[in-house]
Amino acid sequence: MRVNVTVNGAPMTADDVWPGESLLYVLRERLGLPGAKNACEQGECGSCTVYLDGLPVCACLVAAGQAEGREVLTVEGLASGEELDPVQEAFVECGAVQCGFCTPGLIVQAHSLIAGHDGVPADAEIREHLAGNLCRCTGYEKILDAVRLAARRKAGS
Amino acid sequence: MTTIQQPRILGAGVDRVDGPLKVTGQARYPNDVNLPGMAYAAVVRSTIPSGRITRMDTTAAEKSPGVLEVITHENADHLGEAPATFIKNPQPPLQDDAIRFYGQYIAVVVADTQQNATAAAGLIEVEYERHEAILDPHDPRAERIKDPWGEDTAWGDVRTALNRAPVMIDQTYTTSENTNNPLGLFTTLASWDGDTLTLHDSNQWPNMIQQVVAAMFGLPRDAVRVLTPFVGGGFGAGLRCWSHIPLAVMAARHVGRPVKLELTRPEMFTGLGHRTSSINWIRLGATRDGRLTAIEHESLTTLPLDGDEYEPCSSVSTWSYASPNVTARDQQVRLNIPWTNFMRAPGDAQGNFALESAIDELAWEVGLDPLEIRLLNYAEVDPKTGRPWSSNALRRCLEVGAQRFGWSNRNPEIGSMRDGHELVGYGVAGVSFFWYQQPCSAKVIVRGDGSAYVRSAVTDIGTGTYTIMAQLAAGLLGLEVDQVEMQLGDSSMPVGTAAGGSGLTAALGSAVHDACGRLIQKFVDLAGTDPFSPLANVPFEDVAVSEGRLFRKGDPTRGESLARILAVHGLTELSADGNSTPNSPDQLGMTPAGARGARFVEVRVDEDLGRVRVARIVTVNDGGRILNEKLARSQILGGTVGGVGMALFEDTVTDKDTGRIANATFGDYLIPVNADIPDVHVEFVGEPDAFNPIGVKGIGEIGLVGVAPAIANGIFHATGKRIRSLPITMDEVMD
Repeated sequence: MRVNVTVNGAPMTADDVWPGESLLYVLRERLGLPGAKNACEQGECGSCTVYLDGLPVCACLVAAGQAEGREVLTVEGLASGEELDPVQEAFVECGAVQCGFCTPGLIVQAHSLIAGHDGVPADAEIREHLAGNLCRCTGYEKILDAVRLAARRKAGS
Repeated sequence: MTTIQQPRILGAGVDRVDGPLKVTGQARYPNDVNLPGMAYAAVVRSTIPSGRITRMDTTAAEKSPGVLEVITHENADHLGEAPATFIKNPQPPLQDDAIRFYGQYIAVVVADTQQNATAAAGLIEVEYERHEAILDPHDPRAERIKDPWGEDTAWGDVRTALNRAPVMIDQTYTTSENTNNPLGLFTTLASWDGDTLTLHDSNQWPNMIQQVVAAMFGLPRDAVRVLTPFVGGGFGAGLRCWSHIPLAVMAARHVGRPVKLELTRPEMFTGLGHRTSSINWIRLGATRDGRLTAIEHESLTTLPLDGDEYEPCSSVSTWSYASPNVTARDQQVRLNIPWTNFMRAPGDAQGNFALESAIDELAWEVGLDPLEIRLLNYAEVDPKTGRPWSSNALRRCLEVGAQRFGWSNRNPEIGSMRDGHELVGYGVAGVSFFWYQQPCSAKVIVRGDGSAYVRSAVTDIGTGTYTIMAQLAAGLLGLEVDQVEMQLGDSSMPVGTAAGGSGLTAALGSAVHDACGRLIQKFVDLAGTDPFSPLANVPFEDVAVSEGRLFRKGDPTRGESLARILAVHGLTELSADGNSTPNSPDQLGMTPAGARGARFVEVRVDEDLGRVRVARIVTVNDGGRILNEKLARSQILGGTVGGVGMALFEDTVTDKDTGRIANATFGDYLIPVNADIPDVHVEFVGEPDAFNPIGVKGIGEIGLVGVAPAIANGIFHATGKRIRSLPITMDEVMD
């Protein structure tokens, strides 16, 4: 089947999509957007998190057909040109990145927390919001620092 | 000249240079690469642990939509032997009908899409002749290997010392199997061009993959290029050439197209090895005031039927404490299990849990503070040889850690510290980590504009090699970090060693140090041939480098920029090769010390439910010279969380009847999540190490070690329950 989807603001079309195919597979293998990562394929790790119509989802759990006519925002769409999104900037600055494989999913998930928050979320809220994103390298502490920093900057601006 | 003289750059918490690529999704991991005409592969795994295949029916799979090829042992290419590289590599897959473990590859299917390949793989029918599997380390039929590496160690007379010891601890400590589980699914994308082969591959040692694949496929080494600029973590999983790699290469040759083989998460459990379980028998003899008179440490770990593994759990007992009598012996037992393999701090992680638990038991037995007993038996020199350490700040780690943690607030009575429903316990452990270094090489080039690039075949598995090597080269060439471009993760570059064993920073750093020294020498020589150069007739020893300029020491005005020297001589660039080999302990008259560390942990145990929560951890480490404080801290933090996982969660469960790993998903194999992690305080102490020119000691693994015993020791303080097996679960705490 054909799937029409707007990704990072641009209308895109994928052909010959198998009905059981995931949005993640379409993004990575058909649309040339490998930013969202595949690490478990069953919604346990959060590495493939993208926005679907403004809500963060595990792209591996969304059938490609469900994205028909909808808007997807991936980690590739967060920066404006060379200018990083404040969340991306904070992740680099705080040392919240190591191997980087879980990073795209965490960035989108953290971005969604901060976007829906006026101030700086409490630690418990950050941990809860990021509980579905596994990381094996960083020990999570620096990721919390990055979220706090990005939230502080947004609240201050 | 090439001494490290720019603390402004070296040691500074520079942001990782690959950070922007990673946060924008632009870093290309092996499974992110797609090539024109690429096909997809899916593997089929055995569903028995021992026996042989009597029939395979691939008819339905071959007729399935999009299928290009099905390869089994009946039509696989005959491949050459896989050479050992430090340790053995799995021999080529699909060469016979024998089944050695549950999950062994028995077929690979290639199709136009991943879905078609996976669907067809499920259509292959297999019949087996089942043999009885050996799955229990205590099975008397299992092959036992004594002294597997010829490293069993003994000095003094342990028997007599134990017989005479007024105090003895005699206990058994066990650890479960753990699985590395890097987030990145290991992937091989194989692409043939005539008789040359390119692999985009997840691994920790591109030159090793190159060597092994070339041998198996009968190619000259130069005909194989392995690209691993980024890999989604390793923790040891990428230190062998696993069987999916030759499968992808074979499949690509069969279909005449590039083939991508991406393992699934369950396949990562059987296909990349795992940390062996361990049984550690420890006997300590001591005086009544807690001074060690004997340490006896024996271990038993597991092996697959046809592999090897270096996992000397007992060796920690030969260097951690001063004792006049020591015996350390290891044994391995062969089982019908997937390969055991290096996982962050192999051997040390398990052996240290046993030793640091036993030392704690001794402290309670003689009525000493657990911190005091570690200082009382401190190994001022290498206890085995009597030689001085190349550096050792373990004492400082313990002292600083105790202060930061507030150890003096500890009430020594068991169960005396309570907060509502929670019993509070304080636990401590010391860590003496092994030292490891292998030869390595690098090339450093300065271009016409004065900027530089550094090349080596090694890969950065996320630790920060790109960044710290850019810092090191910048520091040595007098440049800014952003003037140094790093090119790593390509087997065609100068031969590099493994990103493993906490040994890469010393190995590659020493090679970069060597190359930079030679390069500066070349610039000085070049300037010396120019009578108009301000550096003419200035000897090499008198030249300093800063801000891209060479100048006479003490007279910064008398100098010339690197760019200008190149321009004057009509050169576009100047390069130098650098090599490093480990120094000889005999020649230097010292024992190379790995990193050292101390862990202080506050645990809280729910007295009704037995639930253990780690409330805070103080981890202080001696890593010699720290090249980048921010990245080093992250290494320790990540290791610490791995240690919490080992202590409380991680357990690869193998079904005792079928040999099947029963929890091979992230839903079932528990690793710590964000909410499991307490407040962690990381601190570094110590001085530059004397064993290598840049003064570093690897810190990629040590962070994990010692966390588990500190937690177990804290649980004893809180509850009086001594738990001698990992992971520590609620039922054991309640029992």
